[in-house]
Amino acid sequence: MGKVKADFEYDVVIVGGGPAGLSAGIYLGRKGVKTLLIERGRFCGAKNLFGGVVYTESIKTLAPEFPNVEPFPCERQVTEEGYLILTERGYVKLTHSKEDRTHSFTAFRAKFDPFLADVAQRAGVDLAPKTKVVDFLKDDDGNISGVIVDRPKSFFDSSPASISAKVVILAEGVNRVLSQKAGLYSRDFQPEEVVLSVKEVLQLPKGELEKRLGLKEDEGLALEILGFITQGYPGLGFLYTNKNSISFGIGVFLSELAKNRVRPYELLERAKTHPFFQRLFEGAEVLEYGAHLIPEWGYKGFPKFYGNGVLVCGDAGGFVNPLFKEGTNLAIYSGLLAGETAFLALEKGDFSEKTLKVYEEKLKESYFYKDLALAKNMKDLFLRNKHIFSTYPELLYEAMSLFFSAQGKFKREVIKEIITLIKKKRGFLGVLKDFLSFARLFW
Amino acid sequence: MLNLLVSIKQVPDTTNIRINPETGTLIREGVPAVINPYDISALALACNLKKTYGGKITVITMGPPQARLALKEAIEYFADRIILLTDRRFAGADTLATSYTLAEAIKFLEKTDRPFDLYLFGKQAIDGDTAQVGPGVAARLNVPVITYTIKIEELDLEKRKIVVQRKTERGIEILSARLPVLLTCEKEAGHPVFSPLSAILQAQKAEPEVFGADGRIPYDLNRLGLKGSPTRVHRVYTPEIKKQGKMINLDEVGVEAAVEEIIKLFKAKGVL
Repeated sequence: MGKVKADFEYDVVIVGGGPAGLSAGIYLGRKGVKTLLIERGRFCGAKNLFGGVVYTESIKTLAPEFPNVEPFPCERQVTEEGYLILTERGYVKLTHSKEDRTHSFTAFRAKFDPFLADVAQRAGVDLAPKTKVVDFLKDDDGNISGVIVDRPKSFFDSSPASISAKVVILAEGVNRVLSQKAGLYSRDFQPEEVVLSVKEVLQLPKGELEKRLGLKEDEGLALEILGFITQGYPGLGFLYTNKNSISFGIGVFLSELAKNRVRPYELLERAKTHPFFQRLFEGAEVLEYGAHLIPEWGYKGFPKFYGNGVLVCGDAGGFVNPLFKEGTNLAIYSGLLAGETAFLALEKGDFSEKTLKVYEEKLKESYFYKDLALAKNMKDLFLRNKHIFSTYPELLYEAMSLFFSAQGKFKREVIKEIITLIKKKRGFLGVLKDFLSFARLFW
Repeated sequence: MLNLLVSIKQVPDTTNIRINPETGTLIREGVPAVINPYDISALALACNLKKTYGGKITVITMGPPQARLALKEAIEYFADRIILLTDRRFAGADTLATSYTLAEAIKFLEKTDRPFDLYLFGKQAIDGDTAQVGPGVAARLNVPVITYTIKIEELDLEKRKIVVQRKTERGIEILSARLPVLLTCEKEAGHPVFSPLSAILQAQKAEPEVFGADGRIPYDLNRLGLKGSPTRVHRVYTPEIKKQGKMINLDEVGVEAAVEEIIKLFKAKGVL
């Protein structure tokens, strides 16, 4: 690699201070690598948004003492988790109680990411918040060998500062501008490859949250919501309990919103008129409203994960598993693998594709890559087969209504009625087809 | 070489402040803390002066331990030295006790280092709006004070002279003074600073020098914090908003009737 002149010199530059970039940073910092992490927001987490649950297992890989940390960066432990299936007026709730109370926690990015940033800084990573990477530095052979930022060099030289790096790790998030510039993606993402998620944080009067949801003060609920919440559009709603508030949101494929001219906050407002939420949110005050894109291009839209002097991880790499709500987890694991690879390259002293290819091999061995490969057709199925989001929730609700109002009736008649209902709504063949196409995702 | 002192305060970001309707107090929980915007102007002014004349910037604040974050951010404005005054005995201070605490610390800094040429304050803090601390410090330091500064027209270090534009209700006053002088700054005083990467990086690593009421600065303990504050808050309340708009629902009355109604209302108020 040819030598480049730069204003600042580092071994590794990480672009993006979300969980992916911070994980890469924490790994490299602990290995003693001179690392700079550049974040566009006012602080790490300032521009980030997620639904709301972090998992202890992945966090422990970064901070083994978690969840015994002060101040605690999360809201509530998740003690009850499951699904809420909505029809226009009714609902079916299916949850389970969690035995392991330290398994997962609800959280806000603006509080959780600064915790990880602190871990990274203590590991020796330099942090540059409020700074935007505008371009790459390239050596004579055209290999990426650093970045150029929007900030000037010094108080007396207003030209943009350049930072040299042997490896640049891109953890820039869903708007993968630099990854594209680095040639890792060949095109922009398409509307059917991203979900637009909107979220409100609603505050209830003190004690009401516990009362209305049947929780104790140290207990939390995590619900995925299916059916009427998205008006039948392919997508999901979610509800997570925070300390004194509830995170409530909806995510729908951008293509569906565009095609049907629906605004996501309209869906949210409409959902709030459902009896379940009307009761839950009575007297609630909206503290926050946020929106974010979720990368769901998945396996089929994966980029090339490495180039000469560059790696991509987290949302920017498409590491989100929507079915199992894994985004933060995958950000952390892919970030760690990128960190490991960069360290390996530094040891070898070679930063070309030849060495960085190890990253792809590491990814392919990981559980999450295999998960995403397995579910590679899921997105297409969801976009194609809308029964999952409309017909089945209604069917389930009506069948249960019949079942539970069967008193004073010959039960065989009730079963017959249910069978007729299924026939009418979807038909046995349809149900069989849907079941098979869903099962085929995993076999 | 200029020796500059900037005094700042960390305040709740009032752009999204909420008031507890029962107690009438600010809900501080979850509200991010920022540097008081007028103090940012003072910092920016100091930064611009240092760029032009060279010199040294010392930034001081009194507050709880987390005020260190405001001081760290001050490094992004070319500050060289950051001082945090924090002690339980400083807590609950009104403007009298605050200006005493700051002034004694400034005297201490001047005795142990060298005197300042300019003391820069924000015109007021957006959480208290008193505009008393700057002038209070000036009185205790026995230096002239110019409030509501919008621009330094002239600064002659040899003649120790400064000419300052000051905003008043009637217009702009132009005042000259001999250094040292204390200025309290309006928004216009400092051009926004787009800090260089070098300063952003430094700010992350910088930690303030911390002073308390432990004797290094010779404080009279009776003049600190709540003890040294004669101000008592009698009551805090949210003024009721009495004026109300009148809503006319177009779907109910139709456009024409609505227009007539509006004209009638305007005539009644004497607008038309």
